[in-house]
Amino acid sequence: MKRPLLVAVAALMLGGATLAAHHSFAAEFDINKPVTLQGTVTKVEWVNPHVYVYLDVKDASGKVTPWSLSSLGPAAARRAGVTRANFGQGQQVTVLAYHAKDGSNFGFMRRMTFPDGHSVELWLGDDEARK
Amino acid sequence: MRIFRVATLAALTAVCAAAVLSAQTPAAPKTADGHVDLNGIWGVAPLPPAVKPGQSVRWLLPLKGVNPEGTDVFKGLDRWQVDGRAAAPNKPEYKPELLAKVKDLSDKQGVLDPAFYCKPQGVPRMGPPTQIVQTPGQVVFLYGASNLFRVIPTDGRPHRADVDPSYMGDSKEHFDGDTLVVDVTNFNDDTWLGSDGYFHTEKMHVVERLTRKGDVLTYTATVEDPDVLAKPWTTTPRDLKLSGNRADGLVEAPPCVEHDAPHIVTLDHH
Repeated sequence: MKRPLLVAVAALMLGGATLAAHHSFAAEFDINKPVTLQGTVTKVEWVNPHVYVYLDVKDASGKVTPWSLSSLGPAAARRAGVTRANFGQGQQVTVLAYHAKDGSNFGFMRRMTFPDGHSVELWLGDDEARK
Repeated sequence: MRIFRVATLAALTAVCAAAVLSAQTPAAPKTADGHVDLNGIWGVAPLPPAVKPGQSVRWLLPLKGVNPEGTDVFKGLDRWQVDGRAAAPNKPEYKPELLAKVKDLSDKQGVLDPAFYCKPQGVPRMGPPTQIVQTPGQVVFLYGASNLFRVIPTDGRPHRADVDPSYMGDSKEHFDGDTLVVDVTNFNDDTWLGSDGYFHTEKMHVVERLTRKGDVLTYTATVEDPDVLAKPWTTTPRDLKLSGNRADGLVEAPPCVEHDAPHIVTLDHH
């Protein structure tokens, strides 16, 4: 795997701009229900207040199930250096997400991994707290 | 996203908020008509380089003390923001008989906040403009994060009486030394002053003050709404550093498209 690009926290900051209000992730997604999805990215919707990725997931029988996945906001993603081009339009990917509490085929995407092993992860937390 | 606190405050200060103004602060420049020159992009940090497709990136939205591998990530984000606002000393003061309503709205913020569903946050919650364009007779405020704008006459005309109440209201303005004073009325009641249920009426009156000292613009807004507020409330001053005046400095923000509301199943909020 290629070496991850670690983007400085300071790069996040958005200046004086006040961005769109955000719903609580806890109100929508179950942190205790991680799900791994393999499929083709059919659409990357680069919109506020969150970026959405649409994935066609094919099971062993060939049945295709469409999933939609929320990510962070586009401004936060861009501050991390991530643009729409990093989210794999048309490519086969593996996604780690957290399932929607309403049970629909919807989730919060944490990480997208590509066949060559590189990955894009936009997540939350403090690595210092892992120790 | 306004969801960052301890770890990023230093960065915020360095990037967009003003450094401490020294006694040697240069005088604010003036326009040809003698008013303080507010032209420019304010408080907008330059974008970092884009990650090349095919390159790995791992980035954490900073939540101090929250293990990214743990099960407290989403709740931690909510707690961080709610606790941060609760600890802030400057809050609008409501009439005692309305405190229960404010709390109820706050408790249900996750589904009731008008700023969800892609509505404008309105004046004053939307904060200072990201770019100011000053011409004789008018000042234009541009809000880069939301693609919104305000065109404000400076020729002394009264407030308009022929327009509907709106999210950003009707503005007129005058200069008070190196301060631009914007008087705003004719609001609708479909905005809040903040995330904690701070509703207002259509009688709200806002006075924004934008003061330039050197290359720092300080923004405050004073809110009067005698039907609901016990006394006028002035927002905490925000200092914005001049970020240049490039013609291509402000880029179009992605549109707001609401997909989340149908999936909200609890009243968790931040």
